[in-house]
Amino acid sequence: MERDFWLDDVQEVLFTEEQIHERVKELARQISQDYQEKTPIIVGVLKGVMCFLPDLIRKMSIPVEVDFIAVSSYSTETRDKGVVRVVKDLDLPLMDRHVLFVEDVVDTGLTLHYLLRNLRARNPASLEVCTLLNKNPRRLINIPIRYVGFEVPDYFVVGYGLDYNERYRNLPYIGILKPSVLFGKD
Amino acid sequence: MRLIDFLENEALESEKKFPQFVHPIEEVFARILDFYGIQWEYEPRTFPLRWDDEGNVLEAFTPDFYLPEQNLFVELTTLRPRLTTKKNRKLKRLKELYPDINIKLFKRRELRNMMLRFGLREEVERIIGTDAQEMDE
Repeated sequence: MERDFWLDDVQEVLFTEEQIHERVKELARQISQDYQEKTPIIVGVLKGVMCFLPDLIRKMSIPVEVDFIAVSSYSTETRDKGVVRVVKDLDLPLMDRHVLFVEDVVDTGLTLHYLLRNLRARNPASLEVCTLLNKNPRRLINIPIRYVGFEVPDYFVVGYGLDYNERYRNLPYIGILKPSVLFGKD
Repeated sequence: MRLIDFLENEALESEKKFPQFVHPIEEVFARILDFYGIQWEYEPRTFPLRWDDEGNVLEAFTPDFYLPEQNLFVELTTLRPRLTTKKNRKLKRLKELYPDINIKLFKRRELRNMMLRFGLREEVERIIGTDAQEMDE
């Protein structure tokens, strides 16, 4: 049995590898059914979807095209620049295409709202959202999300692509970090 | 327009945009909203909650932010949960008296997690640390 490298930092496992696997399979089945006869473009937001998106598309039973977008997020460094920047834009044109936008987690909806406005301007035939995790308690912008993996309470979660300071993305499960890891003490 | 007038106007606009916030967390929140292009107003409306027999307002509540595009009021609190009784009571009363008002309370942990997601660990420690408990909310 391999030792969990981060075991000392994780307070609780919220979703096990098996639970994630099953839920992703269900989502893929539902999406494949909804997009029958279509070849959607699956757009992922880097870097949080690095585990979710590959697993999702491998379980889909329809042809898909895949692209990625990355945007700057708010930080003390970016605050004076004032606006979101697209760090990596899409390579594929979206005009008249069915687009499924894939997120790791939607909480406030601020980033998603910005990105959807950006994508809508490219005139896709349809635009839907799929998120692995949905944190409703923190929602500021109401955005209809068609596919939700798991509803989660407002914990700081890591693993399966989600990070804290770029770490923990490679955890096979989704877990809550100990307060001592986040704040030193609580 | 002369340059001096332009600069004065800019300063006035900036002052109008960034009012004197009561709590540092409010300024961080406003900057985050600006970054994502979300319109906001700071404390634009006060809701009376209790009156005396003559109709004088005894108690009122002023949410921190209003997001006009979302028609949503937002209240932020950095107080520990055990210290938020008064605020919770006011919010409950607000919802009873003004059922059509959409308001969201961002609690200490939610704010902390939001700021951590944005990589603002130092801000978290500065704003939501022990010292923040001393501030009157």
